[in-house]
Amino acid sequence: MSRRIAIVEDEPAIRDNYCDALRRHGYDVAAYASVDSALAAFRTRLPDLALIDIGLGDDPDAGFALTRELRALSPVLPIIFLSARDSEFDIVAGLRSGADDYLTKDASLPQLAARIAALLRRSDLAAAPAAADDVIERGALTLDVKRMSARWKGARVDLTLTEFWMVHALARHPGHVRDREQLMREANTVVDDGTITSHVKRIRRKFLALDAAFDRIATVYGVGYRWDPDA
Amino acid sequence: MRWPRVTLGIRAQLLLVLTVFAAIPFLGVAYIRELEGVLRNAQERELAGTAQAVATALHDRPRLFEAAPQWLMKGGEPPRDLVDAAVATRVMGDSGNDLAQILQGLTRTTARIRVVDREQKVIASAGTLKRMQDALPPPDFFERVMHPLYARVLDQPAEDFREEMPATISPSRREVMSALDGIASTERRAASDPRVTIVSAAYPIWVGDRVRGAVVAEETTNAVLAARNHAFERLFTLVLATLLLGSLAVTLYATWLTSRIRRLASDADTAIDAQGRLRRELAGSAARDEIGDLARGISGVLTRLSEYASYQEQMAGRLSHELRTPLAVVRSSLDNLRQTAMPADAHVYVDRAQGGIDRLAHILARMSEATRLEHAMADTVRERFDLGALVAACVDGYRVVYPRRRIEFVAPADPIAINGAPELVAQLLDKLVANAVEFSTEDPVVVTLAQAHDGLHLAVSDVGPRLPAEMHGRLFDSMVSVRKGPRDTEPHLGLGLYVARLCAQFHGATVHADDRADGRGVIVSVVFPFPGAAA
Repeated sequence: MSRRIAIVEDEPAIRDNYCDALRRHGYDVAAYASVDSALAAFRTRLPDLALIDIGLGDDPDAGFALTRELRALSPVLPIIFLSARDSEFDIVAGLRSGADDYLTKDASLPQLAARIAALLRRSDLAAAPAAADDVIERGALTLDVKRMSARWKGARVDLTLTEFWMVHALARHPGHVRDREQLMREANTVVDDGTITSHVKRIRRKFLALDAAFDRIATVYGVGYRWDPDA
Repeated sequence: MRWPRVTLGIRAQLLLVLTVFAAIPFLGVAYIRELEGVLRNAQERELAGTAQAVATALHDRPRLFEAAPQWLMKGGEPPRDLVDAAVATRVMGDSGNDLAQILQGLTRTTARIRVVDREQKVIASAGTLKRMQDALPPPDFFERVMHPLYARVLDQPAEDFREEMPATISPSRREVMSALDGIASTERRAASDPRVTIVSAAYPIWVGDRVRGAVVAEETTNAVLAARNHAFERLFTLVLATLLLGSLAVTLYATWLTSRIRRLASDADTAIDAQGRLRRELAGSAARDEIGDLARGISGVLTRLSEYASYQEQMAGRLSHELRTPLAVVRSSLDNLRQTAMPADAHVYVDRAQGGIDRLAHILARMSEATRLEHAMADTVRERFDLGALVAACVDGYRVVYPRRRIEFVAPADPIAINGAPELVAQLLDKLVANAVEFSTEDPVVVTLAQAHDGLHLAVSDVGPRLPAEMHGRLFDSMVSVRKGPRDTEPHLGLGLYVARLCAQFHGATVHADDRADGRGVIVSVVFPFPGAAA
């Protein structure tokens, strides 16, 4: 049975392009142009993953409301925000309304496909036990590459997909500097330097919430970031 | 013909206009002179009237002239000051009794009245030329202060002259001769004392149809002079006081106006910062007069200017936002195209289109960087960090990023702790170094951090083309790019230095670019206020 992906996007050209691309990847795609039509369909049948544009029709924030509704219907359904906007405020607002990830429309279709595949895999494997070969351990950090989940000192760190990929890129080679370009590539995203900075800040904050002494992600000014190995 | 430019303030101009009123005293003088003439005529007529009245009383009294006055025959020396008619009468005996009575009444006039016979001998005399000093009201302040000044310019009535009492009136006196010929006449002459002018009127005394003598009434012009002087003094004092008060009022008013205009001008000057943002409302916009209108007008212009400036600043962000959707259409279409069966040579074009789209996306990302940075700054937390260590770390990074360039760092001797956001300082330095690397033609790029009297100077200097003079001060505005770089691979949107300025502003620092002292390139300096002075 193919996975069903819902696309809520008011720009027909983009909607159709995404539909075509995802169908080519073997997904069953349902496209909606408005919040109302999408919600009506979701109430009948939930998709396996939702791709939601933030600005729909005349309401620039319609996507946020839709996400909240959808999250109320299902707490585990992977939701990806898709937006022409990439301001810090939109990212934070999108993630707080319950989205799992945030992608600007600059992202290419292969990047989008990679994300969708990863998120579906993550939700599939959430319940299954971890296999040893999928796990990277870096001191107190445990990364489950298949489930895309991270643990710090045994506690789960609630990372978005982009954040997980960044932590993964950093922690895979502790002590090595990853520049912003590399982080972007590994996180399957296209953002500017400033957004990378705020992603890293958010990641640090999430770790700090679990461990006030967390200081593993070092900023290498002018270049990028580095995961400091255990002392 | 070119006039030399003279700059006159509003105060000076108003005072200049006020000099028109200096004509008032001249008009007053002309008026007073006219008044003086009228007074003189009146005096002459009055004297003539007096003489006529006395003469009328003496007509047809032949006995008057029969006996010569005794005092004239005996003594030859007339009484000095006042010739009392009664004395004369006593000397003259009964014949002068009527005369005495008539003249007695005349001593109360201000005139000296004499009666002469045909030989111009004085038969009788009454009154004096000297005026009785009237009891004057006590002088007020202005009179006390101003009178001595006026006394220097105005002829003063002199009362201390020597009054001559000749027994015979000189035949040269025309009015007397004319009266003795039967014609009443009035003359004006100088007294023996040159300070005094005497007005004299003569009227014939008839006995039957013969003129037997004449009445000569004389008076000094002092009364008129005094009246004239008084009028002058009052006028000048009044005009002077009015002019002084007027000038004072005008000066105060002009000062008030000038200060309002000055304040408005300086406000208008500083209300907008170098980036065209309105800092505050203009003073005086609430006034209901023309200056208020002006302030409101300027306010309006400045508001529109600042709106335009912010529109310009946000334009890049908005434009990039608007362009994203069509860009996504093209990008996703290209991505789809790659997945379909294409003739082999079509791949070249898809790749080119992809390249173009990537560049466009890169440009858009940079265009919205500033807007995003502004949003991000809103919740950036300040911390205390060593600026020297940060800059050193950054420079190490740049050596990795630009391996073929020589980047030098002149570090300060001591650690410099500042309060701020290290990532923003790093971003600022990123932009400055990227700018220097891009535009310089030769190595090295020198990063300097030093403490100076006015703050911490972080400077990046390069060797390359100089700044065009007309672009000074605009370099850090949004979408302004001025230097032509030798390696124009990246698009020049002029947003890098604008981002640098935003980062500097976050720290209360200023950024400015100048040509290097040796003229070989450009030095961009960021001046951070001392930590203590920072807000």
